Amino acid sequence: MMNLDEIFVTRNWVGKSVRRDEDIRLIKGEAAYVDDLDMDCAHVAFLRSVYAHARITKIDTSKAEALPGVIAVVTGPEVAKQTKPIVARAITQPAIQYVMADKKVRYVGEPLVAVAAVDRYIAEDALELIDVEYEPLPVVVEIADALKKDSPLIFEEAGSNVLLHDTLEHGNMDAAYQEADLVVKEHFRVHRYSSTPLETWAMIAKHEKGNDSFVVWANDQQPGRSTANVCNTLGIPNNRFRLIVPDSGGGFGIKLAIWPHIVILCLLAKKVDKPVKWVQTRREHLLGGSHAPDCDVEIELPMKKDGKILGLFIKDIENDGSFVHTAGIYGLIKFATMVGCYDIRATRAELLSVVTQKGPTVQNRGVGKPTMIFVLERMMDIAAKKLGLDPVEIRFRNFIQPKQMPYTTPSGEIYESGNYPECLQKALSLSGYDELKKRQIEMRKNGKYIGLGISAGIEPGTSNLGYYYTSRGVPEYMGNAEGAIVSIDYDGNVNVVMGSVDQGQGHATTISQVIADMLDIHPERVSVDSHLDSLVSPFLGHSGAYSNKFNDVDLGAVIMATKKVRDKMVRIASHVLGVETGGLQVKNGAVCSRKDEQKSVSFQEIASLAYKKILLLPEGVEPGLKEIAYYKNPMAKLPSRDDFNVQITHSNSVHVVAVEVDVETGEITFLKYVIVHDCGKQLNPGIVEGMTIGSTVHGIGAALLEEFVYDENGQPLSASFMDYMKPLAGGLPRIELAHMESPCPYTLLGTKAVGEGGAIGSVAAVANAVEDALSPFQVKVVSLPITPQKVVKAVKETKEI
Amino acid sequence: MHRVQARINGKDYEHEVEARLLLVHYIREKARLTGTHVGCDTGNCGACTILYNGKPVKSCMLLAVQANRAEITTVEGLAGNGLHPVQEAFLNRFAVQCGYCTPGMLLSASSLLESNAAPSEAEIREALEGNMCMCTGYQQIVDAIKYAAETMRASTGKSL
Repeated sequence: MMNLDEIFVTRNWVGKSVRRDEDIRLIKGEAAYVDDLDMDCAHVAFLRSVYAHARITKIDTSKAEALPGVIAVVTGPEVAKQTKPIVARAITQPAIQYVMADKKVRYVGEPLVAVAAVDRYIAEDALELIDVEYEPLPVVVEIADALKKDSPLIFEEAGSNVLLHDTLEHGNMDAAYQEADLVVKEHFRVHRYSSTPLETWAMIAKHEKGNDSFVVWANDQQPGRSTANVCNTLGIPNNRFRLIVPDSGGGFGIKLAIWPHIVILCLLAKKVDKPVKWVQTRREHLLGGSHAPDCDVEIELPMKKDGKILGLFIKDIENDGSFVHTAGIYGLIKFATMVGCYDIRATRAELLSVVTQKGPTVQNRGVGKPTMIFVLERMMDIAAKKLGLDPVEIRFRNFIQPKQMPYTTPSGEIYESGNYPECLQKALSLSGYDELKKRQIEMRKNGKYIGLGISAGIEPGTSNLGYYYTSRGVPEYMGNAEGAIVSIDYDGNVNVVMGSVDQGQGHATTISQVIADMLDIHPERVSVDSHLDSLVSPFLGHSGAYSNKFNDVDLGAVIMATKKVRDKMVRIASHVLGVETGGLQVKNGAVCSRKDEQKSVSFQEIASLAYKKILLLPEGVEPGLKEIAYYKNPMAKLPSRDDFNVQITHSNSVHVVAVEVDVETGEITFLKYVIVHDCGKQLNPGIVEGMTIGSTVHGIGAALLEEFVYDENGQPLSASFMDYMKPLAGGLPRIELAHMESPCPYTLLGTKAVGEGGAIGSVAAVANAVEDALSPFQVKVVSLPITPQKVVKAVKETKEI
Repeated sequence: MHRVQARINGKDYEHEVEARLLLVHYIREKARLTGTHVGCDTGNCGACTILYNGKPVKSCMLLAVQANRAEITTVEGLAGNGLHPVQEAFLNRFAVQCGYCTPGMLLSASSLLESNAAPSEAEIREALEGNMCMCTGYQQIVDAIKYAAETMRASTGKSL
């Protein structure tokens, strides 16, 4: 953390719930999402595979091409000829996949043919005229099927359906097992779900015939990496591709890998004399718009009788579906914070990524951490029960203590600050935990079953992108950083252009608060362009909105660029006022003498010198008041299997939940939901609260409602919001939120991750509460989601959810 | 082709349309009012909610031809020059994140407050059952609607 006095000249705005004025456009219906852009476009529809696994023996598009209104068609085999295969990030086995199906299809919904027509209705009509002959192949749907010795291969060249298999061990696990009084074991199954942004993927591609280049407008969440991926896949130089990201209607990770579709749109645009537009339907989104993978997790805790955990083993098998780009990354991220909030000195993680005929997977909110905290926090309850300990007590006995901070986990993750025991204590008292316990006993006498669930979770932020070391040796990306351009305009107002993009996180307001306090001006004088244009935005390969990096490197770049501009203004002012720079201060939108505030020159006057009367500038000072800065988190380690930090900041939270379970109907009702959250310094509590609650509801949906269901033929059964159940306003608890503040010593403002934490802690807390409610029936929760049907069945027969 | 005349936000529109054109596409593409959004294919999400002859409906569930001679209000027409109290409340209570569901939410909320000046939290949540929000978890939206109800009552001098 920097000395805040070096950053801020006032403290009027940072830390306050400043209203998000960027919302005015949104509430008036004046936003500009991709589909709102006023361009004369051809409209694209995709023919997608109806089989989960089949060889393509014929694609005949002639009838479709003859339909009046159809402008152009591209097929998978044509696209494969013109592109390189999709780059894989983490897997170790060769697996060749193109952005469209080539010789065979591997999941229902895989794109096969793209049609551009004068409107979307005609494009959809044309799809019905395309004749595809398939030769169905045996399918592999579940993890167990994929692992069978004689399992059909989805990628023949891989020689297996396991595309990554690695074991990472840190600390002495053998000793942990030897010293243990007992080993608590369990096997969990976590389902497929997704945070489903309300705006689906959307993009427009335009081909500039003159210089054979492309301009693309897309709601891409990670434009830095996408730019590289699109250019590499198309085999074009970077300077022939320009990416513009306008308003984006939610992301949650699900828009991190839309770039394969951008590649297809570019190829189609080449055949059409105007821009081509594709807006994904919800059905397309739920079929193949990316999910969090389902997974099997075996877990073992070698422990002492007093509840102390000596080591932690997981065998994690991810069902990564059929998308080689992101396959394998969930396990690697999960492993990094597998000890959660606990002082566990030995870990062993056996990680497998398997391919199946389910849809693609991508980094969904929390990326593996919701599952890791789910299994770990379930285990804390299971172990407590086994040892006759209270679930609260077992957590206290294992927490990393505040005096151990900064704490390095066995694998090298550095937890920089935090007070986990106090966080739990605070959550217990805020929730009235002891009272709820009493109420539980009383209510049980009346045949009502309430349960209490606790979870203590780590919420990491800022990925160190070197973590794909398993396969790559030297990965393409390392560390994390972001860029910002800050300028003072003719009026003395501030304009900011970022390398990252916003999907609703309120970045513009937060940035304006920080700059307002750096320059002593009203935030209204700071304009932040939340959009990205690769031609002008200061982007890096890391640029984008993911892994809660905004509060760290994005703001770091803003602060560094603002400091450069401020320093330059002070230097110009020094020349104008004849006062040494050390004798000057920034005050109320001007630079003035510390001794005599009458000696003052406003930003506007300084700008007038910098932009217009440039002959009056001091010797050696360049004209202009626009500065660019890139800021890199200083704590990221170089890629190494022995000592590495996958994430660089670590927020934490405790969720305490009380539910009532109707054992006749299986219905689950919330009685209480309390979160105590520690994300270090909060810059805008109103924004933090919204993201924390919203994120928590993602976890509640995952725990109770949402699931991508496939039948034995690999056919998705939940491809609309009729079948894929999302949380609605009714049925949700009122979430009570309290905060602690353990500043991060390694970010400029002491901030940490905000945004994913709710989704991480809530899944476990809800599951623990349900199991506690059903304890009179000896029901164990080892899978998700906890649906009413499963509850009723478990109570009556299986004793297991 | 069929002729459709509709009055949207007080302005008259007239177009020749195909019978199959959805009303939401008419509003977005023919009338070029893009504040009304599309978030699903099945009438679940409510991003396309409009006021249709004064009642909130999902404009993806109607054909444009059905809207002939209808009076329609979209988010662009919710307030005159300033902001509707519900819009003001959404702004003040952090009820917006990505903004994609917001237009539909605003129309459902304003419609609720027309018929119920002092809704309870449960009534607000029930009124939002047809509108999905993926960002906020609804709580700040619910709070904003409560707050809007209070400010509307205060400005009209109604008390409970």
